[in-house]
Amino acid sequence: MSRAADWGLRIAGIGAALLLVTLILAALGTSPAQAFRLIWDGAVGSPAKFAYVLTAWAPVLLCAAGLLLTFAAGLWNIGIEGQVVMGAIFVTGMLRLTQDVLPPAAALFLAALAGIVGGALWAALAGVLRLYGQVNEIFGGLGLNFIAGSLTVYLVLGPWKRAGIGSTSGTQPFPPKLWLPPILPGINVSLVEIVVGLAAIVLVCLALRGTYFGLRLKAIGKNLRSAFLLGVPTERHMLAAFALCGALAGLAGWVLVVGTSSRHQLFPLISGGYGFLGILVVLLANLNALWSIPISLFFAAISMGSLQLALQAQLDSSLGGVIQGLLVLAVLIVGGIRSRLAAASSERTARSR
Amino acid sequence: MRVELREIHKRFGSVHANNGITLKVTPGTIHGLLGENGAGKSTLMKILNGFIAADSGEILLDGKPVTMTSPAQAVALGVGMLYQDPLDFPALTVLDNFVLGCSPALVPDRRRARRDLRDLCSQFDFTLDPDAHVSDLSIGERQQLEIVRLLWLGARTLVLDEPTTAISAQQRDKLFVALRKLAEGGKSVIFVSHKLEEVETLCDEVTVLSRGRVTGHAQQPYSTEKLVQMMFGQDIPRVRRQVQLVTTAEPLLRLERVTVSDWRLEIRNLNLDVMPGEVIGMAGLEGSGQLLLLQACCGLRPPTSGRIWLAGKDVTGQSYHRLRAAGVAYMPAGRLEEGLIADMTLTEHLALAEYQGGFFVDWPQAAQSAARGIERYHIKGQPTSRVEELSGGNQQRTLLALLPSQLQLLLMEHPTRGLDVESAEHIWGLLLERTQQGTAIIFLSSDLDELLDRSDRILVFFGGRVSAPLNARQINVEQLGELIGGKGFGGGGADESRG
Amino acid sequence: MSNQRIWHLVALLVVLSMIAGACAPAPTPTPAPPAAQPEPTKAPEQPKAPQEFIFGVVLVGPYNDHGWSEAHYMGAKYAEERIPGAKMIYVDNLNPGAKPGVTVPQVVDDLISKGAKIIFTTSDDFKDGTLEAAKKNPNVPLVNVSGDHAWKEGKDYQAPSNLSNFMGRMEYGKMIAGCAAALTTQTGKLGYLGPLINDETRRLAAAAYLGAKYCWTTYAKKDPADLKFKVTWIGFWFNIPGQTLDPTKVANDFYNSGYDVVLSGIDTTEALVEAGKLAKAGKKVWAVQYDYEEGCKEAPEVCLGVPYFNWGPAYLKALKLVQEGKWTQYWDWNGPDWKDLNNRDTSAVGFVKGAGLSKEAAANVDDFIKKLGDGSVNLFKGPLKFQDGSVYLKDGEVATDLQIWYLPQLLEGMEGPSKS
Repeated sequence: MSRAADWGLRIAGIGAALLLVTLILAALGTSPAQAFRLIWDGAVGSPAKFAYVLTAWAPVLLCAAGLLLTFAAGLWNIGIEGQVVMGAIFVTGMLRLTQDVLPPAAALFLAALAGIVGGALWAALAGVLRLYGQVNEIFGGLGLNFIAGSLTVYLVLGPWKRAGIGSTSGTQPFPPKLWLPPILPGINVSLVEIVVGLAAIVLVCLALRGTYFGLRLKAIGKNLRSAFLLGVPTERHMLAAFALCGALAGLAGWVLVVGTSSRHQLFPLISGGYGFLGILVVLLANLNALWSIPISLFFAAISMGSLQLALQAQLDSSLGGVIQGLLVLAVLIVGGIRSRLAAASSERTARSR
Repeated sequence: MRVELREIHKRFGSVHANNGITLKVTPGTIHGLLGENGAGKSTLMKILNGFIAADSGEILLDGKPVTMTSPAQAVALGVGMLYQDPLDFPALTVLDNFVLGCSPALVPDRRRARRDLRDLCSQFDFTLDPDAHVSDLSIGERQQLEIVRLLWLGARTLVLDEPTTAISAQQRDKLFVALRKLAEGGKSVIFVSHKLEEVETLCDEVTVLSRGRVTGHAQQPYSTEKLVQMMFGQDIPRVRRQVQLVTTAEPLLRLERVTVSDWRLEIRNLNLDVMPGEVIGMAGLEGSGQLLLLQACCGLRPPTSGRIWLAGKDVTGQSYHRLRAAGVAYMPAGRLEEGLIADMTLTEHLALAEYQGGFFVDWPQAAQSAARGIERYHIKGQPTSRVEELSGGNQQRTLLALLPSQLQLLLMEHPTRGLDVESAEHIWGLLLERTQQGTAIIFLSSDLDELLDRSDRILVFFGGRVSAPLNARQINVEQLGELIGGKGFGGGGADESRG
Repeated sequence: MSNQRIWHLVALLVVLSMIAGACAPAPTPTPAPPAAQPEPTKAPEQPKAPQEFIFGVVLVGPYNDHGWSEAHYMGAKYAEERIPGAKMIYVDNLNPGAKPGVTVPQVVDDLISKGAKIIFTTSDDFKDGTLEAAKKNPNVPLVNVSGDHAWKEGKDYQAPSNLSNFMGRMEYGKMIAGCAAALTTQTGKLGYLGPLINDETRRLAAAAYLGAKYCWTTYAKKDPADLKFKVTWIGFWFNIPGQTLDPTKVANDFYNSGYDVVLSGIDTTEALVEAGKLAKAGKKVWAVQYDYEEGCKEAPEVCLGVPYFNWGPAYLKALKLVQEGKWTQYWDWNGPDWKDLNNRDTSAVGFVKGAGLSKEAAANVDDFIKKLGDGSVNLFKGPLKFQDGSVYLKDGEVATDLQIWYLPQLLEGMEGPSKS
């Protein structure tokens, strides 16, 4: 199939998704144009608003970067949410230890490392379950997500609770010295968040394109058995893919604790669905690293922009999630159609020639 | 059914795969479609089957022009096709596969299907267990399943694309008997092959293709010489391997009372010495234990007891990757299932196979390697071609190109499956070059001529039991055939050796 | 090929679960009545209306939760109606379950950019975020309901001058609730469905207990030792699956282990709903609702009553201060209007008796209310002991506001953890 036709099909898919959203909005008695404009304004209506979009962008980028690795290896790292949470737990633990004894920069740096370790360990556990426990990573991941969430509740209500309070709403917020500084006053996102997110995805892109590690992950993802027979140490690479994805997810956890506009505390559900959003991004980008960058920005914008639906149109802001889901669904369906067409046309190259 | 293809043209980029082909098949006959690899046979048949569309030309069934848009529609019109690679669903049972594709009813009538399956099987003397999983069947049995399935769906013309490449001689005979029965019953059979003998024995008429054109047409009785000329334009002499066994004090590979088994078969207490440069052929019906031995030697299946020595070192239980590093290579038969990675290019395959450490891929070098492999193994493709775009024979050549250059021991399944005579000759030339540097080869094949022509010694497998090594010079096809059939192994072979 | 099939299947599942997840926590977004005025976006400026005066409200739960958040929503509407040109804009469901990644300062920023001149953040959960937002926006008045950052005498005074607090003296409402429960129970076992543990929830649970104990001994003439009062905390103001205990389950556990009256301390209606179901199945159980005047509607026949917040007057006061340019920091703890407990204009805390309350009990409850009103009964008066046996109030000692607000422990006679 030609490139143009390919892209045409994709755009048609996205168009179909938007049409469906429009119909839903109309059914709810809202003007779709108004709703879309609200989302748009809510996302990019002012520099301050856009800063919040960037705040959401950073963790989605990090998760998407990690997931590109696991998806390349054919692994469904559904456990990424738990890995974000585990990263945030390690970050919080490290900050609690160091906030009073180390200079803030050092404490923040150590906390980032801790987050990376926490996420990587949690992901490696999913990998070990998959490779040595015969537990499919999807189910293992879901289980580990649940455990990470429960651990947060336990910590927030137990060892790390706020004095005299028994609320799951969160741990004692960290003082402003441990918040990443904003780019400009009033633009409440820090350069660090954005740079870390972009750097992660660019590095992953380079790794997938130019390194043996990336090549071998792709080989594993496309044909595990053949890759093994061609001499690829498949188990080690799959574990590494898990661990690296978890490390990036853990870093997302760090951003969610120390980011300029975060809640500066550990609380249940801190992962905020960013991991799942990352999965959608990577699916929509068809596992293309560079496309993941604008798509994750787009999704972050929808997430933040859709808050305006509640504010101004009295619609539920979860409509943003519906839009995102429909987009991915449409693209997957298009992908299905494409691969059917491709199957027909790949015969051209004739096994019979 | 009368099948007629008129002036079929099909181009793939610069390749004119079908260049004005006209073919007529008379009802009640077996029609051979003969040609070397890449002659355009499979393309033509896929057009007939609706899998791909012709650029121009006509298809007529019983005189009526039809447009084929999909294999499903082709079946509905009475044309069923067996592909080179089985298209079944390995995870499902035989019965499930049987009822798949019978679309009208949402819930298939399984009881009726089971009865029909049994009836069809007994009609052709096939032995298919409806409840077995397809993944456990041999390729020959999967073919049988596909045949009865297509007949059940109402196929009146059956197209078989290189059906004998992956099955044992016994299964082949069974297949031929079944095909004759079909033809006698008025059905048309189109038999696509590059194997002269098969076409000669089986087919009532033959159409020969070469480079996308019809180069000849013949009827029984055939002149082999003429057919070869139609195929290649010249006769190809076949040369038996000149035996020149190097006998050193130390064998390259020594198996000492090795026992290895899978869930249904066990090879017990096998002793074997393989000398450097020696070629060992493994004969036997498919699934008689040849694969177990290959897998034990390359570390994919650790023996349950006994020891394996490689060049004087005990390598029992070592992993596939360690043995690979030590110079043991394994070439599987599955092509796109195991061996090659669909959606990756030749260059990427070579980069993977020739990994020497390091972090960044040296793409120019990998591309060079790919170009070298293409030249050396006559692969029709580019370094940037993805392997699934290659024809079956070229995939086979790619597998060979991926083998490491420095090897002690080469273990191969069906080294030349899907290759025409000329290519097979070329490949064996390259393989035998390796043996002169001391590489030993153990291969399994269902092509008796290949076994006899290429091996120094032959092991015959029967139901998990292994004959003493036979000197390939001292037996002929008939003797080998009898051994494969179980003669000399005593009665009930397979059952006795079950673990 | 089969790999790809699995791929598509799983992808589909993920997407569907995302959609489901996105939809689940929120109530059906019924087009709300509030936008009665012409479309705000179409007519940014209304020449004939008096000066538009926008105020923002941040709700922790859905605006129609029949509980805490709806009470605030109604209170804000009350004030909106009484101030010419006033217009409420609100964000509801601001909690990590429903709006992950959204913070109070972010929402406050947004409301300010929409023109809000004052913003009410209506949850204890917003305490930290409101403080942060107040510091960031020193020129915008903010009110955190239920907080104490603006209480000069309080233990946690750190608010900048643009941040105020108000709260209702719900202790009285809870005492009446406890009284109604004690006069109805047949097993002598009262369950208290508590939210999370903090100063506020401790004092409210304690007040309910004090009311129950008083009526148990005074009107029912029973031995205080026979009154069981157990508190189970779920961990948050309402159910967040996976994060809190499930209040439905907690309520059921109460009813199934002999607790025939459950007093709700959470924002939502699970206790009453469960009581309604069990009563239909023939069980003799009751519940006391909380927060919202019309809370009994969910299952009126088993509802003993509902102590509720009437936030309207407090919202009105804050709006007027801002509109008239008289804003100064304040901390209000507004009591009931004993002359007319359910007066919408004067009483910050009210109590509506439910259909489940017997006539006899209702008469006693009225008597109790009268005594509370005329001051002849003060339940926060010694001798009172803490749960651990230490002295809270000496004999005859009357608790100060500080002692009540910052109640450090549950009281003697109550079961359940005082701290997490």
